[in-house]
Amino acid sequence: METRLLALNADPVFQDRALAILDQIESLETQIVRNLSEAVQALLEENFDGLLIEGDAALAVDQATNLRQHFPSLTIACLLQGGRRSDISLRAKEQNIELLSGARSDRRLGATLTRFVRSLDTQAGAASEGIDPCHSLIGNLNQFSAAEILQMSCLSQRSGRFTFKSGRGNSEIYLQQGSVRHAVFGSVEGEAAVAEIFRWRQGRFYFEEGIISQEQTVNRPWAHLLIDNLQKLDETLELVSV
Amino acid sequence: MRDKDLETKLRLVTLQLENWKKLHDLITYGLDKAKPIISTEQEHQFTEIRGNLLQEIEYVFRELNMVAEVSGKAMSVLQRGVSVRGVRDLSNEEVRRLETDWNGVFTKLGLMQGHLKARRKDLAEQTAFSYYLNRLLQRPATAR
Repeated sequence: METRLLALNADPVFQDRALAILDQIESLETQIVRNLSEAVQALLEENFDGLLIEGDAALAVDQATNLRQHFPSLTIACLLQGGRRSDISLRAKEQNIELLSGARSDRRLGATLTRFVRSLDTQAGAASEGIDPCHSLIGNLNQFSAAEILQMSCLSQRSGRFTFKSGRGNSEIYLQQGSVRHAVFGSVEGEAAVAEIFRWRQGRFYFEEGIISQEQTVNRPWAHLLIDNLQKLDETLELVSV
Repeated sequence: MRDKDLETKLRLVTLQLENWKKLHDLITYGLDKAKPIISTEQEHQFTEIRGNLLQEIEYVFRELNMVAEVSGKAMSVLQRGVSVRGVRDLSNEEVRRLETDWNGVFTKLGLMQGHLKARRKDLAEQTAFSYYLNRLLQRPATAR
């Protein structure tokens, strides 16, 4: 399976050193965007295993931080032109953004980029097929959004586990008497995982009645989560140009 | 196997096509009299795309060996379309020329992209050894 990488580069025709190296990596498909709004649009529409932002260190980390707020589980790396400052490194670490140094020889840059590409998780979850009798609710996210089905289940005071499967991977949301108790998507847990699932436009979901999580990573009422995440989604969409 | 030169050309032609498509979307919007409002954001986007194209076309067309075929048409589009509002104010004849020239550039770039993708597909089916062996065997015979 091909790894899909989104590259944010403001000047991809003339500043193409890294892009030329990425071209040479087998089983990698790279899509190039020039600005933040194009990146948001691409990330909303398609599944990418990672995002590489090229440019001046401060600007690249700013853009990465901005995108991290909207895509909490995305693997983001910044390929920095020039040196890195300690404050930038600290900010990147806080936001789980990898910093790659671009001021090296082509060979070393090639090794750095190849390592980054290989580190991307390519184990995209395959959508489950078939109907299991223990699934009390099954559907597609392109017909009902995650917000709609969670709203419906919370209003009817359900307890159980929602499993969402898409090209991005699998995620689970546990409900207990109409409240979200626990959410997990890969290494992301809690409200960040709920926020991630809110953005999914494609995939399948099913609900298994009565499965309760021992863990509790979400403490706020569903109504607050819904309002916050819908507001966040609106803000994400605002970043997308006309 | 992947050919570096081919991949670079494919990347350049894809970036060009993206920009020409976006430019066309904005030109079409500008020409649509049913949509009276042209936002500053749209004008900004138009200027951005036009700026990118102006600085890149000469280099990209030279890399793709297409300067003679499309450079004139591309410049004609970029000189006629100065802004979304400017496009709306063009005469019918100028609009027709604009669309014809845009279509000329887009068609050539699309054909080139198809050609490059076909070459990439051929290459992907070959190993480096078979590629160089074929090149060696297909060399024209030279007279002594």
